Formats: sequence, C-alpha cells, structure tokens
Amino acid sequence: MATLELKNVHAKVAEEGGEQILEGVDLEIPSGEIHALMGPNGSGKSTTSKIIAGHPAYDVTEGEVLLHLEEGDFDDVAELPEDARTWDLLELEPNERAALGIYLGFQYPAEIEGVTLVNFLRTALNAKLEERDELLFGEDEEAEEDDEGYETSPMEGPADEGEVGVAEFQELLSEKMEALDMDESFATRYLNAGFSGGEKKQNEVLQAAILEPSIAVLDEIDSGLDIDRLQDVAKGINALRDEQDTGILQITHYQRILDYVEPDRVHIMLDGEVVMEGDAELAEKLEDKGYDWVRDQVYETA
Amino acid sequence: MSTQLHQDISEETVRQLADEHDEPEWLLQTRLDALDALEDLDYPSVIETPGRKWTNLEDLDFEALVDPLTQTEQKDQVGPEDVEVASFHEALQDDDLAELVEEHFGSIVDPQQNRLTALSTALFTTGTVVYVPAGVDAEDVKIRTSMTSRSLFNYTLVVTESNSSVTILERQDTSDDAEAVDDGRYYSGVVEVDAGENSYVQYGSLQDFDEDTYNYTVKRGDATTYSTVDWIEGNLGSRLTKTSVSTELNGDSSETKIVGAFFGHDGQHFDLDSKVWHRGEHTTADLVTRGVIDDDARSVYEGVQDVGEDAWDTSSYQRENTLMLSDESEADASPKLIINNHDTEASHSATVGQVDEETLFYMENRGVPEQLATDMLVEGFFVPVLEEVEVEELREDLQTRIHERLQ
Repeated sequence: MATLELKNVHAKVAEEGGEQILEGVDLEIPSGEIHALMGPNGSGKSTTSKIIAGHPAYDVTEGEVLLHLEEGDFDDVAELPEDARTWDLLELEPNERAALGIYLGFQYPAEIEGVTLVNFLRTALNAKLEERDELLFGEDEEAEEDDEGYETSPMEGPADEGEVGVAEFQELLSEKMEALDMDESFATRYLNAGFSGGEKKQNEVLQAAILEPSIAVLDEIDSGLDIDRLQDVAKGINALRDEQDTGILQITHYQRILDYVEPDRVHIMLDGEVVMEGDAELAEKLEDKGYDWVRDQVYETA
Repeated sequence: MSTQLHQDISEETVRQLADEHDEPEWLLQTRLDALDALEDLDYPSVIETPGRKWTNLEDLDFEALVDPLTQTEQKDQVGPEDVEVASFHEALQDDDLAELVEEHFGSIVDPQQNRLTALSTALFTTGTVVYVPAGVDAEDVKIRTSMTSRSLFNYTLVVTESNSSVTILERQDTSDDAEAVDDGRYYSGVVEVDAGENSYVQYGSLQDFDEDTYNYTVKRGDATTYSTVDWIEGNLGSRLTKTSVSTELNGDSSETKIVGAFFGHDGQHFDLDSKVWHRGEHTTADLVTRGVIDDDARSVYEGVQDVGEDAWDTSSYQRENTLMLSDESEADASPKLIINNHDTEASHSATVGQVDEETLFYMENRGVPEQLATDMLVEGFFVPVLEEVEVEELREDLQTRIHERLQ
C-alpha cells in the first residue's frame, strides 16, 4: 500500500516576496481510498495539488511531502529495495514523481498540437517505467543504447519501442477508452487540441487509467462536465480505485461529483490549512450549510 | 584585395563562362548587362524591424567568397518521362527548350533586381529547366544540388503549359567531397516559375548547406488564370540565409501557398521573406511559416500580402510562429498587409515565444522527462506545416532532419 503524506506544508509563490498560500497542510492519502479535498476559492486546494506534483511556480518553505511505498505497489516489481520505500517528493523532478506513481489530473489540461494522444501516452508510459526502474534500482544499464538515432518518422514514434510496444499499447488504450465510453478516434487526435471541456476531463481520467498511478490528485475534474460525462468520469475514477487500487485525492467545490464517487474521507481547507475532516457526511453537511459554517466552527472553537 | 575582385568578376570571366558552354549571344548579352549594372545596384532589401536591421549583406566579403571559374557541384535532375527535365546547358542545345529559355529567362525575376541577382546572372554556371507540356500530370521531379566548390551560382526555370501539374523537390546541400574552405562558401540561387493557365505547381525545397555557407535565394512565381503556385521552404542549413519567395497572382482565380519551416541552431542566421501580390480577381493566398531557433541563432521573418486596386474578391491569409528554445536566441517577425481593394478578406498574425511552461509541466507530470517533452513539442510544432507538404519524401526528410537536430 502506497501512502502520500503531507506534513505541515507551507508554500508560497516562487518569486521575490511571493504570496504565502499554504500555512501548514497535513494530509494522508493511502492507496485504495478516495479522499475529497474541498474548500472555497483561494483556500489553497489547487496549490496543494501543484505542490504534490512539483509545479515550479511554488516554493515549499516548510514541511514535508512524502511518498511511502510497500512491496506489491508495482505489479511488475517483485522486490522493492529497502532504501526505496520512503521518498521525499520535494527532492524529485515532476517526471520522477510521476515515475513513482504520482499523477495530477489538471483542471485545465494542456493542448498539444501535432502530438497524438496515442503517441504521447505510449511515450509517457515507457518513460515512466524506465525512470521508475532507474529510481528504484539505480542506473539503467540500457540507458546508453537509447541515444542511438532512429530511422522511422518521429510522427509514428521511435523504432526503439520501449518496454510497451506499439501493438501492445494500442490494445491497452482501446480497452481503457472503451471502458470510459470514449470514441476511438480520440487516440489519433492531437492531445486535447479542439477537445471539449468534458472530453479533456475524460482524457485526464483515461491517462490515469493507462499510467496506473499509486496516488491520483484530480483537480476539479468535475468542472465543466454535463451530467452524462460526469457519470462517465465518475465511473472512471471508481475504476481507478477498484481495479488499480489507486488512492484518489479529489479536489472539488461541489458535492455533485461526490454523489457518484463516494469519498472515504473529506478534508476541508480554509486559508491555506486543512481545518476540518470527516466522512462522506461532512460533504453533505457542507453542501447544506456552506463554507461560512466551516469558518464559524473553526474560528469559534479556536 | 579589391584587385582580386575585379580580376575574377570581370567581362573576361563572364565571356569565358559563356564560351565554355557555347551559350547563345542573347544570354551572353544578358550576363554582360547584369555585370555592367552590378556596381550601381543595391544589395537586396533586408528585413528591418523597429530600430534594427537584422542582416547586413554588404558586410559579406564577396571577393573572398566568390570564385567564379571553379564552380563545381554534384547534380541530379530527374523526372517522369512526359516532363522535360534538363540541365540548363542541355536545354540550350535543344531547339524547343532553347526557345523556351530565351522567352522566359529573366521574365519573372529581373536579373537586375538587385546586386546579388545581377551577380548571379553574370556568373551562374549551372541550372535546371523543367517543362511540363499541356495536360500532363507529373509527380516527383527531383533536383539535387550538392556544392563541392567555394561558390556556386544556380538557376532554375519551371514552365507549365495549360491544365498540367507538377510537384518538384529541390535539395541543396554541401557534398561530403566538397573542398575545405576556411572562410565560408557562397551559394546563390534564382528560381523562376511560369505557371500556365489552370496548371498547378508545388515547388518544395530543402536547404541543408553546411554551416559555413552564405546562401542567397530568390524564387518567384507568375500565376496566370486559374493556376496555382505553391512553395514549400525548408531551411535547416547554412551560416546565413537570405531568401525571398514570392508569387504574383496575375491571373483571375489564381492561388498560392507559401509554406515555410526552419530550424536554426548555433550561430545560424535566417532572414526569410514571403510575398504575394494579388493582382487578378478572385485570388487566394495562404502564407504559413513555422520556425524554431536554438542556441544563439537568429531569425527574422517578413510576410507581405499586397492587394492591388483591381484585385476584387481577394482572400489572403498569413500566419507565422517562431519558437525560441534558448534565452540567447533572437527572433522577430513582421506580417504586413497592404490593401488597395476593399473587397478583400484577409488576416495576418505572427508570434514569437518560448516553450510554454505549463505545457511542459503537464507532460512531465505524465512521466515524460523535460528534454523529451521539449523535443515532442518541437516536433509537434512543425506538424501543421508538414501537413501542407505534398511530396512525401520532402516531408519525411524534413521530419528526419528536425529530429536529428534535436538530438
């Protein structure tokens, strides 16, 4: 079981005199659970997600972001070395964090012209697997061979196929797309270019399904979705947890998606801190009473 | 040193060049006229952006660069059977083609347009003539010019008769067998395209000279009624490149596309201009260029859409995007639109920017390391222009060279 742990995280905008946004966030997300992170605009939810993924626009000024791994977290890794069980994510590049199983579903996914979804995802999956082995077991002895030039067109991907070959990947992708009720034509379209808001969000869930993260942070995956698409996306999120044992940190403003993705835990942020925690009922109560109620509760008891 | 110049670039030299190839009198006269005019002509206009002139051609040491009597190259000129593809001097030995050359030579690019076209006219020793008879559809005309000497002046003429079509791929590079030079090479190319009624020409070039080469190229097409002249411009090589690619839309309902892709690195310098003159009615132009520069390379692009007074019902579009991969690289772009007829639908835009940080972060977050992510973005960036390239071989070569440059 993997666990993402945030301990007393303080963070500010990475510039001279940058605004302090996080004032000591504590969170623990184990794999196989769904956690909702709620809070009003400006409370620091998105910043928390970006800190976890390693966004360069923020500096962590205090606290820790740790990833604890256990034997069996990676299906294809038989034995996890002793020294590869706890990772200080703040020391790692974003792609290294991804390699260890951190995934961030973006509120506004990037549109990438000229790079097809299938080519991007296969490249990502292979890069992730390669980097992971390097992190877990040290330098990859095959790494040097990869510098050789290749002969096919870059549009079709390198001839050096990587761990997951074209045919195998195609099969995997088709299967996951079908499960998410996505049209196959998306595979050969340019990544998110010209996708509707809903299609982009579906695509974020699809990518998580392919990359099989230990912990997926989904930043407002429910915004801009109509009800049908919301159900598809929710189904995809539940499948991540049920089939891949992914731990989900779902950032949302609204109760709406929680009707379809029932959270094990609910965390409420206010002014850069997690101020209230509970089970699914807390989200419902919040929907009824609003953030002012939270504010009153927190500052009265304080 | 200037005595050296006048010894080499002289009437005697020009006569000798013409004599060696048994050239007709009219051509010798055209060469001598160009030589005569040389001193009085200006260097080609270069792109100027506010406060800056990017390219200083007059600073080039032509005396050292140009060696007119030792021009050599390796050349391939091939095409399908129903098209005439001949070397320039072969064409002059063929009665029909000789007549064609005499009729068209210098009719689209004025030999005395500027000092460098005049120099090219006076000194060129090699060239290609492509003639597409009426009704013929021809693909895969291929011209390859591999420089082996210090300097080379090249001339290309394409003439299509009515209802014909042709795709041409021209490659320029430096031969592996080229003589070593200490202070640079000079290449000059002039291309004239005369498109007959309702004919179609796609002229693609891939410029991949070694990075000691100074390259000056002028290409111009004359599109008559219902004809189309499309240009594909791939610029990867050279130390400095100054190109002017243009189409005159003289015929009603004529069309043009000027599609460009460039990728500069190290100290390369590209000064690229695309121009279209809308003169007939119902004409359409589409100018699309994308370029990437890295290290301390520089690029400047200028695109001009000129809509004449009588050019009713004009459609004219222009887009240019330059992506800078390093902080030391410099780029500018200037799209210009001159409209003298109100019955025009037109757009023009240009952007110069760096790789988007959010996009990079997105890709890294999926496990793609920064360098690989950047490479994918660069390759993807070129895709919209590559999609315009009809000649598969050119498209693949461009892709391969872009890919290699990223390594």
